[in-house]
Parts: sequence; structure tokens; C-alpha cells
Amino acid sequence: MSVAAITYIDAINRTLHEEMARDETTFLIGEDTGIYGGVFKATRGLLEAFGPERVIDSPISESLIAGMTVGAAMVGCRPLPEIQFADFISPAFDQIVQQLARYRWRTDGTYAMPVTIRCPWGGGVGGGVFHSQSNEAWFMNVPGLVMVAPSTVRDAAGLLRAAIRSDDPVLYWEHKKLYRSIKDEIADGEEIVTEIGRAHVAREGRHVTAVTFGYLLHLTLKAAETLSADGIEVEVIDLRTLLPLDTPTVLESVSKTGRAVIVHEAPKTGGIGGEIAAVLAEQCFWELDAPIRRLTGFNTSFPAAKAMEDHYMPGVEEIERALRETAET
Amino acid sequence: MAEKKTPRKRRNTGGTATAEEITEAAAESQEQGPTTQEGAAPTGEAKEDFQALQRRREATALDVARDFPDKYRLAGEMEGCPDARKLELLERLVKTREFDARMRRLFRQGRFEGTFYSQIGQEACDVVIAFQLKKTDFVGPSHRDLGASVGKGIPLRALAAQVYNRVDSPDGGRYTACHYWHPEYWVMQPSTSIMMNWIAATGAAFGFKMLKKDNVAVAFGGDGATAHGDFHEGCNFAGVHGLPIVYVIQNNLWAESLPLSLTTAVRDLSHRADAYGFPGITIDGNDVVAVWNATRTALDRARGGEGPTLIEMKTYRWFGHSDIDPADYRSEDEVEQWMERDPLPRYVAWLRESEVLDEETLEDMRARVRKEVEQAVEFAEASARPEPDAFLSDVFVHEYPGFDVRAGR
Repeated sequence: MSVAAITYIDAINRTLHEEMARDETTFLIGEDTGIYGGVFKATRGLLEAFGPERVIDSPISESLIAGMTVGAAMVGCRPLPEIQFADFISPAFDQIVQQLARYRWRTDGTYAMPVTIRCPWGGGVGGGVFHSQSNEAWFMNVPGLVMVAPSTVRDAAGLLRAAIRSDDPVLYWEHKKLYRSIKDEIADGEEIVTEIGRAHVAREGRHVTAVTFGYLLHLTLKAAETLSADGIEVEVIDLRTLLPLDTPTVLESVSKTGRAVIVHEAPKTGGIGGEIAAVLAEQCFWELDAPIRRLTGFNTSFPAAKAMEDHYMPGVEEIERALRETAET
Repeated sequence: MAEKKTPRKRRNTGGTATAEEITEAAAESQEQGPTTQEGAAPTGEAKEDFQALQRRREATALDVARDFPDKYRLAGEMEGCPDARKLELLERLVKTREFDARMRRLFRQGRFEGTFYSQIGQEACDVVIAFQLKKTDFVGPSHRDLGASVGKGIPLRALAAQVYNRVDSPDGGRYTACHYWHPEYWVMQPSTSIMMNWIAATGAAFGFKMLKKDNVAVAFGGDGATAHGDFHEGCNFAGVHGLPIVYVIQNNLWAESLPLSLTTAVRDLSHRADAYGFPGITIDGNDVVAVWNATRTALDRARGGEGPTLIEMKTYRWFGHSDIDPADYRSEDEVEQWMERDPLPRYVAWLRESEVLDEETLEDMRARVRKEVEQAVEFAEASARPEPDAFLSDVFVHEYPGFDVRAGR
């Protein structure tokens, strides 16, 4: 068994190959996913491997891409739609929110909706407002929907495999900035399955808890490293699943540290950080030693120019400062 | 993977009120104008006139053997339809109408909550095609497609329990009344948000093709729905992939209160099929013989791997969008004219002229249907109301550590 370091996007591609080979009821549908292999090449080789019956180059019809999965799932398929950029998911919103996510509940548990919608998301890639957003919060208020967001190569594989095998509808948020910027080892044939619904303590600490996911996990870990040299031990939680949030893990950590900083790319207002802060305030208020802090994107749309983009994204130094101030409060 | 669930707990164990207890006389005095939801029902004298008119029209609708102008007589033959099937089809049409009219009265009597979406006048459009399907073929109905369910053979008692939001409804009362569906009969749950069923049925047709199953899908929509983007996205995809699907547009001239002229500048909605590379055809949706022949051809095409067909059926709904809509945006003349083109008397006359149907057979059929309708009403009224917390299950298939369905309470 050979072990080679592969990238985040390779982990996605390899897992798609493996799972489509494993289950012949799976099919892929998205824009430029077949002949072109995906605009990021996440789906390269799948058309050649599984043919045009199971790898569909869709017309530019996001509502169709998301909505057709409901009927396909009812008759026995396991659909794997891709929304080319998470920013393009809004035309599919109705189908995802009103139909796909609720269909099990609506039918009193008659049907499962085993659908995994992959959504490339996130800033730091010079893409401007339609190619950079962190729009997961749009879906936070939707009962019946699962959202996962891998931050590491192994979780990219493990969460994708778990999502594809899950009988619940999953939005799988893959971070574009991580596609080729991180590598890790996955052995050939190693079937990583990352449990959906469980956050991961990426670094243990006792002074302050940082809760984050995606690209910003890596910046947060860097900040934690620096702070450790100054005697501030940060516990870093990689959420991995955004919906339903793993509140037990977050509560356990913050109950221990008494301090929490939530870091995400999306605008602060109505973001995931607000939900986490509310849960902490409701359920471990008496364990808190400092105000909960949220370090997020600005309450604006995502800017294009490099200087602006760099300013929009929370940086290592800002994360470090927020953690230090909270730890010292 | 589509997962079939075994029906749970809740079965009708007999109960309190029965339909017989509600005499028509009492019913008259009980009739009340609902005051909530879309539209506003007339009040005072206007309400009495309005309700009298509604009752007159219902009585007319139920007189399926009545006379009509000669110009609406049906011609031709129903291809590949033995006489026994013709009668069976008539029974489904009569059943749809009798059930509908009964539910309208029960709604006015306040016997169930919400509202009712009457289909009277449009039955041929969905009963005839649904009647031809295999049980495992997929139907994506709209909220007005009672006939798709009756046509496919769903027992009236399940439909009545659905209208009443009782535990014996396929969704146990948690979804939305009058949104008929049934998993065993492969009639999907209509979405109140227009055209979701269109896209879902397209997905089912894709699934049948990919899984190499010998099944077809049928999707229903109204004239107003053709303005929705999902109409285009579904048709376009089905055209590209030659999917086994029949798209039925019931053009009843009004999208709730919107006249067709404000929906589209196109004259025949079937012309839209040209944009998708498959056949489109416009027919008289109130002509059972024409509907049979057109849908049979389209279903054969779909099953034979020749791809989709779009069929526009021109038809008319006699009553409001829902039963609290007085439909005063339309002229009475227009309604009366369309009542003359009622699909049921036209089909009954054709069957009589073809010597397939005699008076006795029709009377027996009507008696049988009325009995079944009454039994369905009794069943629904005796079916228990759901427990207040019965909606707290089945949000997800799997369990998640952070998910608490009661977290907000």
C-alpha cells in the first residue's frame, strides 16, 4: 500500500471516483463537470470512468441541478450535484430549502433524500463577490438540511464519503483556497469516513477556545502557535459540521476554558458565530469568564481588489489579537 | 435510496361523528363563509347569493348525464381502449367529481380546516392520463390534481383523510391539506411553491432512464406555471436527455386571478415545446376521447425511448382558485360558456352513442361512487386528529449530537 501526500482537491476527486465505483446508483450533475472535469478539476476523469449516463454536464440551470435530485432520489438514485461556485446556489435555493431539505419531514418519514450537493466556497482566491462568498448562513435556519465544511485533506475525503453514504441531504462546502494549498497523506484504498455531526478539537488548550472552520482554521492554528510561546494555550475547534452544529463539543470546551472566540469569513450579522454565541450564552453563561467574541468578515459584500480582499479576510494577526485580548480579559 | 416506511401506529378505529349525522338541511344552516387565507369571501346578502350560485353549479356538475350543445359532441374512437376500460375510466372521472363536490360542501360546513382546491371542470386533464399509468410510474401533480390521484387508483379514504389532516392521511396531517399524494401509488407530494413537482418529475424520469427502468413520469402544471423558470429548466433538460416524461399543461385561462394574457403573449402554450426540441400539442382538455388519444401517444413515446411530449389541454375550473376565492375576476358569462363544455356529460353522451353505456349502468356507477365517497368521508371524520407533537419526528434520517428538535422550547 503506497502512501503519498495528496491535495485537498485530489482527496475530493479520489473520493468521488471511489464512491461512484462503489455505488452504481450514484450520479454526478453540474456545470462543466463532465467533459471539462470541473472548473477546478475536482471531477476530472469521472466522465471517462462512468460515462455520460452517470456524469452529466448540466445546462446552466441551478434550480434543475438541485431540484431534479428529489425525484431521482425517490426512484432509487443517490445524486451528487455540484453547484459550480457556492455563490451560484441562490437560483437553487427554493428547491433545496422547500423541497429537498423538507421532503422527508413532509412525507412523515416516508422518503430519505440521500443527496450530496458540493459547493466550492470561500475567499482568498481573487474571485470578487460572485466567486468568494461564505454563504453557509443562508441555510442555517433550514430544518432537515445537513452542512459539512472540511478544513483538512483527510476530512475532505472523510466528510465527502460520509455525506455520499448518508441518507440525509448534505451541503458539502469545499474551500477553494484549500484546494491546492494543503497536502496530507491518504493511503491508496484507505476509506476515511469522518462522522457527520462531530466537531474536531484540532488543538488542545486551557485558556481560550477558538471555534472556526475552513481556510481560517489554518490561520487560527498559526495564531495559536504564536500565543503558545507567550503562555496562552488556545483550544482550537474545527467545526467540520455546520448544521446541525456540534454544540456538545463546543460547550464542553468553553466550559473548560471559560472564553470563546468565533472566527468565520461570512459577515457577522446573522452568521454562524451568532448561533454559536447564543448557544454558549444560553447553556454555559456561568462558566464564562469573558464576553464571547466574534471575529468575522465585514458587513459588506466581498471585495475584488487584492488589497481589499486581504483586508476583508480575518488575518493571522487579527485572530491572534482577538484571542489574546479575550484570554487576558 | 428511496426508503419505504411501514405505516405506523394510528389506524382508523372508528369514532364519533359520521357523515350521516350531517343532514343536508343542517348543512345548509351550518354553511359559513371562511374569513382567513387568500381572497375574501362575500358577506351578507352577497354571500347568500354567492353560495346559492355555488350550490346550483355543484348540482349541475353532478348531473353528468345532462344535455349540452351539439357542437361539443365528441367524435372519433379511443385507440386501444376496450369498452370495459372506457367504463372504468368514466367511473374514475365521476369519482373525482363526486368527491370534489362533496368536499366543497363539507368545507362550507366547517368540517375541516384550511381550504379546498376544487378541480371541477378540469378532471379529464389528469384522470385520463393517470388512469393509463402503471402503479410504479411517477406522477408529479400540482395542488389541483385530485384527478391524478383518483385516476391512478388511490383509495378515496386516503384522499379524504389528507383533506381532513387526520392521522390516516399519508402524511399523518403534518403537511398541507388537499395536497394529495401516496407513496404506494407513486404520486409525489405536490409542493405549494409552483413547479417544484415539474422539476422533481423530470428528476424521476432521469432516474428511470439511468437505472434502466421501464417507467415513465408525468408532470402537471397550469398555464400560470409556464411562466416559472422551473418550467423552462425542466423541459430543457428533458429535451436534451430525451427523458421518458409527459408534461401536461392544464390551461384553464386563469392563474389564480391572473388572466392568460398577462402570463404570456403566446397563443398556444404547446408552442413552447419548439424551444426544447420535442413535440408539443394543444388539445381540448375537456374532450376525453382527444385526451385519451394524445396522452396514449405521448406515453408510448416516453416508454419507447423517444423522449418527452408537452401537451396543452385547454380547460376551465368552474370555481375559485380555492374555496374561499369568489373568482369575481371572471365574468359569469365565461363560466357559463365553459360549463357547457363540461367533459363528463360529453363523455357520457359519447359512450351512450357508442352503445357502451346504458342508463342502468350509469345509475349503478353513480350509486357505487356516492357510497364510496360517503365511506371515505366517514373514514376521514372518524380518523383521529394527530397528536400535537406528532410533527416532531423525521426531520433527519440519522441522529446528530447537536440536534435537538425541541431546542427552542
